[in-house]
Amino acid sequence: MSDTQETVNISDIQSERISRAQGGLIEQLAGDAYSSAGFSRLLVIWGITLVLIAVGLGVTLYLIERSKQSLVPTAPPPLPIAANPSDIPPPPQEVNLFLLDTTALTLVPVKIERRLHAELTKRLSQIVTALIQETPPNFRNTIPRGTVLNEAYIDSQQTAYLDFSNHLTDGHIGGTTAELLTITAILKTVFDAFPEEIKQVQILIEGEEVKTLAGHLNLSQPLHLFQ
Amino acid sequence: MKNLRNQKLFPVGAMMTTTNSVAIQKTTRNIRKTVSAFFLSILAWIIALNGPAQEPSVRFIDVNGGTIAEVSAQRQAEQIYLSVDAVRQIFDLEMTDQYNHPRKRLTLKTKGKQIRLQIGNSVVSIDPGGQTRTLPTPPIIIEQQPMLPIAFFTQLLPELNNFEALYNPSLNRVQLRPKGAWTPAAIGDSVNWAIIIDPGHGGADDRGCESSTGLLEKDIVLALAKQLSSISNEQGIQVYLTRQTDTKKTHFERIQVAKRNQGQLFLSLHCNASFSPHEKGIKIYLNNPKGQLRFPSNVQSALTGQRLKILAQANFLKQSQDFAHALQTELNFLTETPVEITELPLVALSEAYMPALVLELGYLSNVEDLEKLSNSEYIAGVAQAIVRAFQRYISSINPPVPSTLLE
Ligand SMILES: [Zn+2]
Repeated sequence: MSDTQETVNISDIQSERISRAQGGLIEQLAGDAYSSAGFSRLLVIWGITLVLIAVGLGVTLYLIERSKQSLVPTAPPPLPIAANPSDIPPPPQEVNLFLLDTTALTLVPVKIERRLHAELTKRLSQIVTALIQETPPNFRNTIPRGTVLNEAYIDSQQTAYLDFSNHLTDGHIGGTTAELLTITAILKTVFDAFPEEIKQVQILIEGEEVKTLAGHLNLSQPLHLFQ
Repeated sequence: MKNLRNQKLFPVGAMMTTTNSVAIQKTTRNIRKTVSAFFLSILAWIIALNGPAQEPSVRFIDVNGGTIAEVSAQRQAEQIYLSVDAVRQIFDLEMTDQYNHPRKRLTLKTKGKQIRLQIGNSVVSIDPGGQTRTLPTPPIIIEQQPMLPIAFFTQLLPELNNFEALYNPSLNRVQLRPKGAWTPAAIGDSVNWAIIIDPGHGGADDRGCESSTGLLEKDIVLALAKQLSSISNEQGIQVYLTRQTDTKKTHFERIQVAKRNQGQLFLSLHCNASFSPHEKGIKIYLNNPKGQLRFPSNVQSALTGQRLKILAQANFLKQSQDFAHALQTELNFLTETPVEITELPLVALSEAYMPALVLELGYLSNVEDLEKLSNSEYIAGVAQAIVRAFQRYISSINPPVPSTLLE
């Protein structure tokens, strides 16, 4: 009888020592009630409280961390292929869309995957349309939401003509900076995807040449970028 | 024996407890980490918010924005005070000073003058001549040292030394410049100068950008243009506005105003916007078809004749750059964010056959800029800075552009 009693006591004391050594916080919180019967209830209450705080903080920290990372967005669902049914769908290809990093205040390439059309002008249409539509988290699109690319074509002088709906002008927020960002995003995306095929870009609105988009930049001629 | 057995038994006997305590220990460690991180971050915030208050300092700059001296200051009852030694650093290295403790009298000897001050007394006497001046706030004692109010540096000393001082209290910046250097009399020719101010946008269709509070670019720039016009006229510089009211004007009509009045300088006023709320500051743009965005040289536009006009404006690139630098120097005095100059093909300036700039006053998409642009005092400061830039630019050109180049 006394043997068993002693064993239990010793092991209790031992485990208590280990707990004291390794679980200092709990020891402090539990205080004198530690070895009493109320301890386990206290432990449970404090445990649950602290676990809840930890989970809350953990989730918050995780979200903060995640929002800091410049995530490459996951591949969006491919566009429906508008070509005739005899076409075999090509494998998805990586395309850089130039979007605004709102912290660095610069346009950065953001990779997406697309099944691109074999034909040059259709591929150009696809990519510019993607630039209008894609809005991955942490980046800002610089083209007014709702703008439509009516048509795209490339002439013999390797000038790409991009004909947008008038929402590109009417829906624009204005300001030289914003206008420059919009135009530069289009040019960078096009030149990045077609380094050989396209040398300059002319912006058209509803089929017409325009002097400007928001009243500052001169768009009356085809443009390229100073490298 | 028993003890040994017991000790061997211990892990098994304590199994229930240990499983729990391992889990608890793990959780505890995580909790401690998270909790300590949490409290550390709170601590960091508290330090950041209430931390050691930064001692203010005042920067004295010369006419070109170069630093003369940055002197530490003391703030008391919302007033800025500088030490006696600051006078030496800024105005006169040879200055001598004497402080009489019992009588609380401070005597400064600088550039053949004797300036006598008394602690707690606003009246200053200057010898020889026995003149007196009154400061808005008297000198005081801080940490047993006599301290001079900022007005002593921005008003009294400039007056005695034939300087002009521009004081920007929000940035603690003082610019010192030779007095009357750019008054119409000194420039001589400015009376003949015609400057075209172009308030951007206008009318119901072309509102320009708009703030979240409903402030409109077209209204801000028109108000500023009118202020600029009256200040310039006082200075003997003739200013013409491309629109006087909230009406729509084409770029062509605006340029016609410039041509009709034989404008020698064209300044188009705008407010900026960006897709990021963080972007802020004043920006200057000048028309360069070979700028950051560029027109290719080998392609003829379908708009006939465009190219010739664009190239003609390029003749004024160098003068536009000079004007941009004059404007940049003056506007830098107003803001913490350095004013940037960018060259782009600009539609508003493409047919202006004279030095021409677009000035973007600030971002309506940024909270800080919006606050400034909503403040009439700030706008008045901008107007004065622009007029000083006109004077700076005009005085740098001798003789001014002959009017024969204009048509
Ligand atoms: Zn504008």
